[in-house]
Amino acid sequence: MKKHNSLIAVALLAAGSFGSTQALALDGAALYKSKTCIACHGADAKTPIMPNYPKIAGQNAAYAIQQMQDIKSGARANGLSAAMKGVMHLVSDEEIKAIAEWLETL
Amino acid sequence: MKSTKAKHPFIALAIGALLAAPALGDWNEGGGEQDEALHLTPDLENGMDVYEVCAACHLPEGWGMTEGTFPQLAGQHRAVLIKQMADIRAGNRDNPTMYPFALPKAIGDAQALADVVAYIEQLPMTPEWGKGPWPPGTLEYTKGEQLYKDNCVQCHSETGMGDVEKFYPRINGQHYNYMVRQFEWIRDGKRRNANPEMVEQIKNFSNDDMLHVINYITHVPVPADQLAESVDWKNPDFD
Ligand code: HEC
Ligand code: HEC
Ligand code: HEC
Repeated sequence: MKKHNSLIAVALLAAGSFGSTQALALDGAALYKSKTCIACHGADAKTPIMPNYPKIAGQNAAYAIQQMQDIKSGARANGLSAAMKGVMHLVSDEEIKAIAEWLETL
Repeated sequence: MKSTKAKHPFIALAIGALLAAPALGDWNEGGGEQDEALHLTPDLENGMDVYEVCAACHLPEGWGMTEGTFPQLAGQHRAVLIKQMADIRAGNRDNPTMYPFALPKAIGDAQALADVVAYIEQLPMTPEWGKGPWPPGTLEYTKGEQLYKDNCVQCHSETGMGDVEKFYPRINGQHYNYMVRQFEWIRDGKRRNANPEMVEQIKNFSNDDMLHVINYITHVPVPADQLAESVDWKNPDFD
């Protein structure tokens, strides 16, 4: 799976615009890894790197989508969300949805 | 990005250092774990294990992202990598996204730090890093070339290789957008661990000057023996 990182990066660059391209099939599990979520929230989405970071496996998709969008836009802002905000420009609305739907199934 | 309250003493210290001693400064106090890590014999096998978590962002190849969110780490000098890790950990260089990964809990002790940077240092670099928009032959390139000769060579060297001994980073082969961001933060005092002499040197750079000089260095070739044989190269350690 790690391979996907660079492949996706290359594909996105070829497409010219980051975060908004639809060139790829939206596989929530693959996106979860390639968009760096795995680094902070853990491979199973319930072993976060820090004890004050949330477990997100099994979360309701609608709730998770809202939180991700709020962290991305800055509407949800505290000392902790700053960590995640730094990567959220890497995911589009469609990708957020795909990841959230996958998380809900865990 | 917001910094947390705990970091404010560092801001005060860093600003104090910049104002008080622009020529010397204590941008690189060293000491403690930084010195310890520099002098330990690295264990590459353990370095690989530690690197696994870094790979989520910097990629298994250590190439980062061409669009500049994550810098290329491959090929960077060991001493520079160690200093940056120590600075991020100490709250001396803001990096909220990476902060937890720079903590001892994530990396381990000085030995583990020595191990992971030794592992990173030996990775081949990407043959296709993010380049600036103006190729050789353009006016912008020529302007950047002159700016580089006049302002950067003394520290980052003719070829952009920097200086291992002095903790001067190599900047050839690094992604354009990442470097523009760092340069701007260094100029404007947002990157607090910056070298005060560099800050002094670039304080009158306009935004255009900045883009031109960074553009130039991204078009300087990296020695072929430091590059992976192709952009499709995959780090076999993480297959
Ligand atoms: C650099 C670390 C980091 C990365 C990378 C990261 N997150 Fe987060 N995430 C956090 C932190 C910290 C919080 C809690 C923020 C807060 O306290 O407001 C959070 C919160 C969340 C929440 C809300 C949880 C809740 O119960 O309210 C979701 C959902 C989430 N992250 C999903 C993701 C997804 C999907 C990705 C990848 C696109 C991702 N995160 C990448 C650190 C990270
Ligand atoms: C969640 C994503 C993420 C993870 C995981 C991560 N980094 Fe980073 N790292 C970043 C970002 C983003 C930057 C650039 C920050 C900036 O623009 O100032 C960075 C910058 C760096 C730098 C500074 C490079 C330079 O040229 O000055 C070093 C060194 C580094 N990382 C090493 C590591 C190591 C070693 C690990 C694993 C222990 C790691 N990183 C894990 C996101 C990450
Ligand atoms: C007096 C020496 C000096 C001069 C002159 C200088 N630099 Fe630097 N530069 C440094 C040092 C030292 C660092 C690393 C600072 C630190 O440890 O955080 C650095 C960092 C950088 C970085 C960030 C690298 C990274 O990986 O994060 C860039 C980009 C850069 N310099 C470009 C330039 C350019 C372009 C010029 C000329 C316009 C220049 N520098 C002039 C010493 C210098």
